[in-house]
Amino acid sequence: MDLKTLTEINAPAGHEQPIRRVLIEELRAKGFNPYIDRMGNVIVVKEGTGVAPRKRVMVSAHMDEVGLIVTGHAEGGFLKVTQAGGIDPRVLISKRVKVGDDNIPGVIGAVAIHLQSAADRARVMGYRDITVDIGANDKGEAERKAPIGTYISFDTPYVEYGDGYACGKAFDDRVGCWTILRLLEEELPCDLIAAFVSEEEVGCRGASGAAFSQEPDIGIVLEGTTCNDLGDIPEVAQVCKAGEGVAVSFMDGSSIANRDLFKKALEVGEKEGIAHQVKASVSGGNDGGVIQRAREGVPVVVLSVPCRYIHSPSTVVKLSDVEAQFELCRALLKTF
Amino acid sequence: MDIKKILSESTSTLGVSGQEECVAAYFAEQFKPYVDEVTVDSMFNVVAHKKGSGPKVMLCAHLDEIALMVNHIEDDGCVRFASVGGVDPRILPGSRVWVHGRNGKLFGTIGALPPHLMNAEDRANNYKMDKLHIDLGMSAEKVREQVRVGDLVTFNTPFTELANNQVAAKSLDDRSCIAIMLRAAERLQKMYCEADVYFVCSGQEEVGGRGAKTAAFAVEPDLAVVLDVSFALTPGCGPDVAKPLDAPIVTHGPFIQPKLNKRLIDCAKAHHVKLSQEVSGRSTGTDADDIVISRGGVPSVLISLPLKYMHTAVETISLDTLEECARLLAHFVSELDASWEDDLWI
Repeated sequence: MDLKTLTEINAPAGHEQPIRRVLIEELRAKGFNPYIDRMGNVIVVKEGTGVAPRKRVMVSAHMDEVGLIVTGHAEGGFLKVTQAGGIDPRVLISKRVKVGDDNIPGVIGAVAIHLQSAADRARVMGYRDITVDIGANDKGEAERKAPIGTYISFDTPYVEYGDGYACGKAFDDRVGCWTILRLLEEELPCDLIAAFVSEEEVGCRGASGAAFSQEPDIGIVLEGTTCNDLGDIPEVAQVCKAGEGVAVSFMDGSSIANRDLFKKALEVGEKEGIAHQVKASVSGGNDGGVIQRAREGVPVVVLSVPCRYIHSPSTVVKLSDVEAQFELCRALLKTF
Repeated sequence: MDIKKILSESTSTLGVSGQEECVAAYFAEQFKPYVDEVTVDSMFNVVAHKKGSGPKVMLCAHLDEIALMVNHIEDDGCVRFASVGGVDPRILPGSRVWVHGRNGKLFGTIGALPPHLMNAEDRANNYKMDKLHIDLGMSAEKVREQVRVGDLVTFNTPFTELANNQVAAKSLDDRSCIAIMLRAAERLQKMYCEADVYFVCSGQEEVGGRGAKTAAFAVEPDLAVVLDVSFALTPGCGPDVAKPLDAPIVTHGPFIQPKLNKRLIDCAKAHHVKLSQEVSGRSTGTDADDIVISRGGVPSVLISLPLKYMHTAVETISLDTLEECARLLAHFVSELDASWEDDLWI
């Protein structure tokens, strides 16, 4: 299993089945017995090597990605769509997509520039205007091939480019899924609850159930987070920087990091010489919020891979940051 | 002739307005089996000549594509750009591109400020081109080693097959119409053909019919048939401005010679080619505008292939309609003889 394979699986929020299948197969091949709960989370508990009572640490990453969903059909055979997870509609025009489980090729077009008024040029095409074209001849054919509720994903293959960067879709949060798969190969003192959770992109629903059922002592959330480091951006507006290591959040839109865990993560990073940075903006929400507030509360820290152009068809990560996420999480787990 | 292969290869070949040499070389090679002589002139017009004793007819479709051009490299390594031809800035955020640097092409992706870091007003408006950047995944130092101001940037969107023999790609405007000429050239090999035929793939149409102007001067045709794409029906692009995807389009208007156009329409009828008809009340916005007034004047008609999402990287056509255009063009050329002008002006 590699990151390319994981990112190229199409599984928008609410339709995690394709990625779930692949993960279950992979986990079984590694000799684990994954448990699937009623939120569709895939969970593996690996006992630690330490003496009991051991800490139970839940390391989670979400399986779902942002995508689109068919809401209706227009005359002429076009698909009307809305977002499943947050996608700025401005990144959709002139892109290729894959429609449904059969991965039917489709494109998202727009009225030609020749026919636009000045007002049209400024106005953002929202989900009322955006349609997906699969080449259907008429409404009936479109309905048959992509009924209402059909999920749609970006069709952008994983590409490695530049100095150790990769461009693709769904790095948020297949990077975390990949890191967990790698952590499961490690011998750790604590019990590792590996949780591949569902529906983060529509409100962190899967993680909520997993944290409730697993009752962890500690939660570590592995994520991809927004970056904003390129384009002559003033330092103060930068969230984190691709290439400068895993980003440790002191606080984000959904949780304040447990102070001890936050400090420990930075100390471990420093001690082990693992590239890390503090996420310098209180923005974005993730599973950390619901895990922290599960049952009587769980100390939580979030370790993120900086993602340029997150939630777009062409997200960019630096592979050394993905490596740093794995290394820092492993080093942190060894302290429990 | 494998039309899909030609479309896939030609649309991924570099050929930006004014710098069409690669795509010109590609098409020059493609025409060779079907004509007596192929030349590429100083404007990168490909002129493929199939010799005949009858009227001299120039068929013309443009080979240049719209694109971007590097205009600045920031100190963080990101690349700023301007457009060559009419690029819609709305298609840019999240698009993959090739930056054609001094050591070959570099993969890049177009980035923008994330929406949650914008104010409400900026979020409500489309990104402006000067606020976007190309991310090459390299430091400024490394970028500057390979990329200079003036380097070309083209879209990196693979050729895509959709349902019902529809295909999507960049630059189908107007390389799909060159494919029509190629297919017509192939058909004409097995047809009676008196006409002296010049297949011209013109440069610099996207910046104003410049290649066609000099090619028409050089060829000095008796008459011309121009092939370009036109708007197909899509949401937001209704019957007032667009036509169905499934039929070739003929145009009426002052730039189109009416009797020659009648001949074209009659030819379509005789060979059961379904047509749509549109009107260009002034100029046509195609190479026809320049060819018509070349030297002492060139009676011209226009055949348009309907295309969805013009000037995006997912321009979409029907291959069935492309074939119908080629069939019509071949019959029209085949039926030209010395009498073509007899009743043109009376």
